[in-house]
Amino acid sequence: MIASQAVRAAPRRRAALPRQPHAARPVRRRAAAGSVTWEVRTFVAVSAAIAFVFLLAMLYLSQATAVSTAGYEVQRLGAVRDELRRQNALLEVESARLDAPARIEAEAKRIGLVRVSTIPVVRIEAVAAKR
Amino acid sequence: MTETVSPARLRVLFAFFASAMLLVSLRVGYWQTIGRAALLEGATDQVTSELVLGAQRGNIYDRTGAILATTVQLRSLYAIPSRIADRAAAAAALAPLLGTSSDTLRAALDSGAEWLYLRRRLPEETARAVEALGIGGLGFEMEPKRLYPGDTIAAQALGFVNDDGVGQNGVEGAYDEALRGAPGSLVVERDPQNRELAIGLRTAVAPRDGADLTLTLDLVIQTSVERALRAAIEKERATGGSAVVLDPRDGAILALASFPTYDPANVATADPESLRNRAVSWTYEPGSTMKAITIAAAIDQRAVTPETAYDDKGYAIIGGRRLNNALGKAYGRTTVTQVLERSANAGAVFVAQQLGAERLRAYLDAFGFGRRSGVDLAAEASGSVRPLAEWYPVDLGTIAYGQGVAVTPLQLAAAYAAIANGGTLYQPYVVATRRDADGEHRIAPVASGRPISPDTAATVRQMLVSTVDDGIAKGASLPGFSVAGKTGTAQIPSADGSYVSDEYISSFAGFAPASDPRFVAVIVLERPQSKLYGTVSAMSAFRAIAADVLREERVQPDRG
Repeated sequence: MIASQAVRAAPRRRAALPRQPHAARPVRRRAAAGSVTWEVRTFVAVSAAIAFVFLLAMLYLSQATAVSTAGYEVQRLGAVRDELRRQNALLEVESARLDAPARIEAEAKRIGLVRVSTIPVVRIEAVAAKR
Repeated sequence: MTETVSPARLRVLFAFFASAMLLVSLRVGYWQTIGRAALLEGATDQVTSELVLGAQRGNIYDRTGAILATTVQLRSLYAIPSRIADRAAAAAALAPLLGTSSDTLRAALDSGAEWLYLRRRLPEETARAVEALGIGGLGFEMEPKRLYPGDTIAAQALGFVNDDGVGQNGVEGAYDEALRGAPGSLVVERDPQNRELAIGLRTAVAPRDGADLTLTLDLVIQTSVERALRAAIEKERATGGSAVVLDPRDGAILALASFPTYDPANVATADPESLRNRAVSWTYEPGSTMKAITIAAAIDQRAVTPETAYDDKGYAIIGGRRLNNALGKAYGRTTVTQVLERSANAGAVFVAQQLGAERLRAYLDAFGFGRRSGVDLAAEASGSVRPLAEWYPVDLGTIAYGQGVAVTPLQLAAAYAAIANGGTLYQPYVVATRRDADGEHRIAPVASGRPISPDTAATVRQMLVSTVDDGIAKGASLPGFSVAGKTGTAQIPSADGSYVSDEYISSFAGFAPASDPRFVAVIVLERPQSKLYGTVSAMSAFRAIAADVLREERVQPDRG
């Protein structure tokens, strides 16, 4: 029996009971209470089981969705990382291009600098002898 | 009133449903067992994609760590013409950015192609400008591009990478396998929007990136060498030239230049002749620079001493042929040292006669002529020294002063390095270290022989210093430093076996400081317009290179 049937069965049984004098009510209540308790227990147990399974399913779904969302985020961050690496590589190339001696020399010429003809070298021995 | 169904009908109905259920069960059972793999494969194919993960080509650095070659991902611009609302407007907007006419772009967009590249591997600034236009129907795709930040600097030593990603010439060619690495693969499940599923199937084989190479080249010295060589070539209006700078202590190549040259990032537009590395893949008759080798061999065999003298008449007769000094000059009594100082052909013939053909041939071999040096660059030429059995009597005389043999500038530099370092012939090399996933591998110098003794080397060094101080190579002298060297002027063989009239190859080979040589340089100029005086420009180039190398290496002057 499923829970919905259990719920519907109770009123039918109640309707079938003959009306009793007031004095007999506590006894009837106890009997009715015993019967309802069993039905309610079953209903509650089945409902709880369904709710539990539902919660489990929801938990699984939420976890799966979270993982999936995290996966998309990882993918997005991976793409961002790759693009930053690419930009970094391009900047390194640009830096190397700017550091190239040939470019620096051309730039120096452009602003009027000239190469030194001789570079004097100070000998350590000569400096030491004067001290 | 109730109608009853006959039992026979019920049995038929039951049998029908039972059979149907059985068939369905069998079919389901089949797909769950025997046909499972096929079903799974079909389903997997629909949601999975397999990608080739390209390996990153290794970088190339100079010895100071400056980038010489690297690979970056550049954006290629593609178009889906059917999705472009206004093709004429799009072509007009793109034309100035792509440096082409709008008509050309319009024709491409109207060609009927569903998908086409408009420009591959755009510079980043251009790609950003195109992106900023926001034209629908245009998109970008990443493609690898080999970049050389120094443009044409060291182009011949580096080589290039062709459109198929294969390295050619130079280091790129010689170390292609190490630089290229190995591609990986990625099998991954994707959603309908082609995004990877984090909880789906994922099989990855990581690519193995190519090794990074650190060269022995020094960008500053390389730039200096190219500047000096270019200046000499322009001054002489020479058809070409090359220069090599070696560290004589281990054979490391500090600089290697060759003209005409090319931009390795734009090989498609390069003159095929410019692709040839003239320092390594081209041979020439060295002329008088070979006299130092002949004399070193004779001194090592004690056939002569620096003071051994002969009477120079301006020519020598050998094998029934008369071999003249340059310009027919007669010097009278001449010592072997003066043979170098005056670059007397007759003197070289005299020395060779004292040595003998067999021993001269053996020393040419010991100095590494006639065979590849083993340098780790692609397409090295071996040069040519004929077997002794093929020598005519006159060959002893002509080979003594560098005619009748063919060498590469690199071979000559290695031979002079042996004289400079005390007699050890080192195999020239250009890659100092290789760094890959296993760590850094240093490449040890290789000594390939000891053609002459340290005493002989010291003697010849002093004679070459004398050649610069008091002789024909004065133009190579450098204030404050002892310089050793020798000029060379060679004729150019023609196709018919004779020599081309009035055209020469001028060269200079030398090293400094002679007391403790830190570099050896060979400069070669092809067909200089000043003919026999092309060596003057070669010496000027050497002097400029020497000044820069000694300054860069922080070498203290060895003369007051």
